[in-house]
Amino acid sequence: MIGHETIDVLLSKLRENPNIVHWHTIPKKEAHYAPFPESLDHRVREALVRRGVKSLYAHQAEAYQSVMDGKDVVLVTPTASGKTLCYNLPVLKTIITKPESRALYFFPTKALAQDQKNEMAELINEIGIPIKSHTYDGDTAGSIRQKIRQAGQIVMTNPDMLHSSILPHHTKWVSLFENLQFVVIDELHTYRGVFGSHVANVIRRLERICRYYGSHPQFICTSATIANPREHAEALTGRRMFLIDSNGAPSVRKHFLIYNPPVTNKQLNVREDEGLAVTRLATEFLKNKIQTIVFAKSRLKVELLVSHLQKLNSGRQDRATICAYRGGYLPLERRRIEKGLRNGEIMGVVSTNALELGVDIGQLQVCILTGYPGNMASVWQQAGRAGRRQEDAVIIMVASSNPLDQYMAGHADYFFSRKPEDVRINPDNIMIMMEHIKCSAYELPFKMGERFGGQEVDELCEYLTEEDVLHYQREKWYWMSDGFPANNISLRSAAQDSFAIVDVTDRGHAEVIGEMDRFGAMTMLYEDAIYIHQGTQYHVDDLDLEERKAYVRKVNVNYYTDSDLAVQLDVLAEDEYNSFDNEKLEKGYGDVSVRALPTVFKKIRFETYENIGWGKIHLPEMEMHTTAAWISFSPGLLDTFGKEVFQGALVGLSHLLRHAAPLFVMCDQADLSVVPKIKAPHNEKPTVFMYDKYPGGIGLSEKLYQVMPVLLEKVQEMVENCSCESGCPSCIGFVNEGRMAKLALLRLLKDR
Amino acid sequence: MNVSLTKKLQLYKKQLHDMNMAAKQTQSKQAVFPEQIEFENDREIHRAAEQLGASINYFENQYVLVHTEYLPLDTKIGQYALSDLTSLVQCWQSGYAQHPLSACGLSPEDLLFFDTETTGLGSGTGQMIFLIGLARLTARGIELKQYFLPGPGHEAAFYDAFLRDCHSLKNLVTFNGKAFDWPRVKTRHQFVRDQVPKLPAFGHFDLLHASRRLWKNRLESVRLQTVEKDILSMGRSEDVPGKMAPFLYFQFLKHPDAKLVKGIIEHNREDVLTLISLYIHLSNKVMGRIECDAEESYEIARWDQQVGDLEHAKQLWKMLSAGNSSFKNQAMLRLAELYKRAGDYHSSLNLFELVIKENDVTDESACIEAAKLLEHQFKDYERAIYYTKRAIECLHHSNQVTKSTDNEIDLKYLKRMDRLDQKRLAELS
Repeated sequence: MIGHETIDVLLSKLRENPNIVHWHTIPKKEAHYAPFPESLDHRVREALVRRGVKSLYAHQAEAYQSVMDGKDVVLVTPTASGKTLCYNLPVLKTIITKPESRALYFFPTKALAQDQKNEMAELINEIGIPIKSHTYDGDTAGSIRQKIRQAGQIVMTNPDMLHSSILPHHTKWVSLFENLQFVVIDELHTYRGVFGSHVANVIRRLERICRYYGSHPQFICTSATIANPREHAEALTGRRMFLIDSNGAPSVRKHFLIYNPPVTNKQLNVREDEGLAVTRLATEFLKNKIQTIVFAKSRLKVELLVSHLQKLNSGRQDRATICAYRGGYLPLERRRIEKGLRNGEIMGVVSTNALELGVDIGQLQVCILTGYPGNMASVWQQAGRAGRRQEDAVIIMVASSNPLDQYMAGHADYFFSRKPEDVRINPDNIMIMMEHIKCSAYELPFKMGERFGGQEVDELCEYLTEEDVLHYQREKWYWMSDGFPANNISLRSAAQDSFAIVDVTDRGHAEVIGEMDRFGAMTMLYEDAIYIHQGTQYHVDDLDLEERKAYVRKVNVNYYTDSDLAVQLDVLAEDEYNSFDNEKLEKGYGDVSVRALPTVFKKIRFETYENIGWGKIHLPEMEMHTTAAWISFSPGLLDTFGKEVFQGALVGLSHLLRHAAPLFVMCDQADLSVVPKIKAPHNEKPTVFMYDKYPGGIGLSEKLYQVMPVLLEKVQEMVENCSCESGCPSCIGFVNEGRMAKLALLRLLKDR
Repeated sequence: MNVSLTKKLQLYKKQLHDMNMAAKQTQSKQAVFPEQIEFENDREIHRAAEQLGASINYFENQYVLVHTEYLPLDTKIGQYALSDLTSLVQCWQSGYAQHPLSACGLSPEDLLFFDTETTGLGSGTGQMIFLIGLARLTARGIELKQYFLPGPGHEAAFYDAFLRDCHSLKNLVTFNGKAFDWPRVKTRHQFVRDQVPKLPAFGHFDLLHASRRLWKNRLESVRLQTVEKDILSMGRSEDVPGKMAPFLYFQFLKHPDAKLVKGIIEHNREDVLTLISLYIHLSNKVMGRIECDAEESYEIARWDQQVGDLEHAKQLWKMLSAGNSSFKNQAMLRLAELYKRAGDYHSSLNLFELVIKENDVTDESACIEAAKLLEHQFKDYERAIYYTKRAIECLHHSNQVTKSTDNEIDLKYLKRMDRLDQKRLAELS
């Protein structure tokens, strides 16, 4: 057997590696402790001591005190900082003193609720006081549901369950709502965009019901590191929040490396695939028995990486155990992996961001990120998985060739000094809010003048009365329909006019694998499209507009499809307008109507982005109203550069804006669209529109409008720092007249 | 950057409307009468009350419409007269105390026949009960009261009137009341619980349950209307289908016109009266006061056995065993089972053997039961082996396709054979 090299040896080897473009060392941090608070029940304290918690971290003690003082609290908690105790201690203390009190916890996934229930059960067991703590979700057995409704002191659930089961049946939960003392919202940062806007409205409904039953619960929220934890918590809960963002937990010295794969095709400025680089790096650690976690963005990538990594075992006697971890695994399987990671039986794990959340796997020594995960919160969440015991931890981020990754690789100082992004929600999105007004009216009639999350809603209720959904009588609006409104909304999907995606690979067992809003369906689920669902490729056999169903079949091809849309953008209302940079540029924000007509689609090869074929799309035009930010140039520039070149520059700018936007708002690519128009109908100027891809908008374009000058600065840096001559994936993409277009764009941005 | 909701509403009205339409489409294809919105008008409701012959009961600043009617005891409902209820309850006193339908210990006046109409079938807090029908025997004949909710803001008056009138809810007679009507009463009562009397303890006779037991095989679906038509041979001339009720009621709320809800109220009235007839009919069947066909007798016997009334079950099975219906075999097996449990092994074995003898191809379970008795009670291994062999033959005969479960059974039987062989050998040596 060959001897294993130590982490220090491996680190010194890495120092020689020319592809490491930056080496950042985060010094070791000592723990800040605080004594157990006086008021904490001695049985709880003793139980903690028996479980090895000899004293609290400073932030845990502060959280306890703040909650006991009656504050609504938001805690920013990095991975492995002991956040659970921050809310469990005040909740347990309160329930021990006043057993009729109730606490409602909600987690973004069932799995997390399950984890927390187990942890709580162990603690309660150790304390030796019978406190009833249960999960209540789709997996809860019918036989114990009633018991939980009546006597559960701590109920752990998820927002979807709250929305479609608990709130609409609140009369069965009287003892919970009458005595609700705490609402704990874990992983606050996951409630963003459309999902977050829905959840904010679910909380408004919860608040109405609590008010009805005479309770006024305190909120305790925990979040990963984001730019605006307090603002976000306040937007979500409608409460003034007290922020605790100090962290008393210790950490070891960490080396954070940025690895930029070498350029393999100089002409096209294409770099080595980041997956290959990751495999090489991870193998080095794994074969030396150093526990390593690799993060990848899609399930497909995860599976690919695992199969590559497992090759290292061939011909070796001491095989390293390597497995994948992602959503869609059965709970038992996940438990096995988590345990294997904690006790060291599993050496390597490749995961989607599923392991970003508070799943307990202990800490590993090395963490490798396959590409910039899209936002800083994820970077630090993922990096937080590395750092066990006394030894140094290593984090390596391997850049892909997209502009954002390349920008980060080239601006390491910016990367490390960078604050995490804003999390945005728009609870007042009228499309979303209207749906929840319906649900809320179903739960309790609205009184005239009553507010919903601070908004006056009389007019909305009147509108719903016209629509025969509500009935007005004696200053109250009552639900008057035989429907169940919560059924029409899924918190995690887009507009309710949604299409079901049906997998017909096995004709006998057609299965719905997902759903998509109409707009998305028409741009991604047209006939012959390759649709990628959670890493698996599907061919779209048929899109049935009337039945709102897309029939797909599993395939394995080496290309994806991208549709061309003829997009018509009309500004309906300009809410904000401003010119800047000496009136050379103007920016605007407001409501727009997006009319899109899918025309053709291209087939694009995965590795090379070559165009290998195309097809026509036969679908009618569709319309969506949403919010947009836009930036317009002087029409005179068309003559200055020539139409063809200027158009290329605009398309290139759109490409860059699409990639730069995530620097400022935490969003998925699918949430935002960027469309260049050589002549925008409302001002007849060359304009680039950035619009929220959800009817009514979810606050992304609003933020982009505010940061427009800085956004353009970043775009400028991205172009300037790219060494290619005529455009490449890392800057303006491949456009017509690439060389000239790139120069034109540089001048445009310089002259600002 | 705060744009007023009003403006947003204007901008998005079309999209919102489309969304509502899409939602409606998925919920129901029923046409909604496209009429204008109007505000409620107390005077119109009063006029409607007059037309419906209902009185108005006030409660604080709310009110409820109550329609009361007395039906003479000789009124016929289907094949029964209302007066039959008295003799029926009398009859329950003389036995059958365990039976779920039994009125033993009750007087006919204690029974409350109860049915509701709701604004939707869902069970959430947004669906209301807008009509309750209640019938019971009084000195003046059958008293039938219907409580009609004139609008969602009058629920306190509605429940107050209903709860004050009925006192006890221990003996409700309903059709699916346990799963449908009662949970909805509980839900809505939560909203007015501070203003109206508490909900009394609930106990009841669920005729859906009973009907399902007796007739589920012959009815397409066990609904009150189907039972009424196919079992009680009653018909309704002009009935408003129950699923129309919400739409008509919503229409009424906008335009309080008696004509809109007259049909629903009549529908509810007939439902309640049918409950009386059905209760009499079911009770008569269960107590054997009227003729039952073989299936009914068989199911009634099974029910008797389940509630522990073995005497009655035995009587019925004896009767079926002696007869010549398609339930003869099953009844004999049940009876044999009953004898066995009572320790009467001879009678039990006789019956099993009779079943086997009378049928060329039988259920192998009879053979196995016979074999078990012979092995354990009579120590007659020879014959036990004979019947086990028959069982294996039956199994093979009845199943060309061998499924895994059959294989398991097969193995079990073979194991029994081995054991019996050994026992026989031990005996011989």
